[in-house]
Amino acid sequence: MGKQMTEMLKGTLEGVVLAILSARPAYGYEITAWLRDQGFSDIAEGTIYALLVRVEQRGLVDVEKVPSEKGPPRKVYSLNAQGREYLEEFWRTWSFLAERLEQLRKGGN
Amino acid sequence: MATGSGEPKSRYLQYLEIITGSLEDKRRYRQYKARIKQLPENYRTAVEALERYLMHFGPADGAGAMAMYEDLADLFEQSVADGTPIRDIFGEDPVEFVEAFVANYPIGQYRARERNRFTSAVERAAGEDTARKDRTD
Repeated sequence: MGKQMTEMLKGTLEGVVLAILSARPAYGYEITAWLRDQGFSDIAEGTIYALLVRVEQRGLVDVEKVPSEKGPPRKVYSLNAQGREYLEEFWRTWSFLAERLEQLRKGGN
Repeated sequence: MATGSGEPKSRYLQYLEIITGSLEDKRRYRQYKARIKQLPENYRTAVEALERYLMHFGPADGAGAMAMYEDLADLFEQSVADGTPIRDIFGEDPVEFVEAFVANYPIGQYRARERNRFTSAVERAAGEDTARKDRTD
């Protein structure tokens, strides 16, 4: 994963993670594993964890502690109503940005 | 002497803590240290390096800092259980991870406040008279 990709992803990672959670609840490790599968190979587990702490503090996700076979209980995150609202706003912003960039590429601005 | 987090403190305890600092925080910090001690050696080494780096952010005490340490212990215990390699926790640039992590806690906000103060000072010095609100981000 190139430097440019890493830089671009930085601003969108929050939306990406919320979008993953909108499909189904997940814990941190699952989210990182999914992203790696999708080709985002450089994503640090710690970065995702920090992001999850942040969205939890901002009330965008609900958290449930689920006992696990190995290690401490897992925190399972699910998107709540406020998170859904935030995600919708993210997609609107993304559409705007993607449209403008596409226009720019076609040379008409 | 009850130190459960939800209960009101006795007057004696209130006075005592003026001198000693929060006993509850001390207990939580000791618990954190004990958890870190249980980690495999290379993970422990990495966490201790991270702790050292955290000192650059300013004083780390109070309930907010304790929450930070506990979250840190959660992350590393879970990573050990999942078999996540150290490099995969920290990523290519460990500093980036730490910055994103501390931004969630008072220790990171302390630095944000200093940043704002610095930005405002430059504005004043540059003669740009702006009535800035105190932002924390």
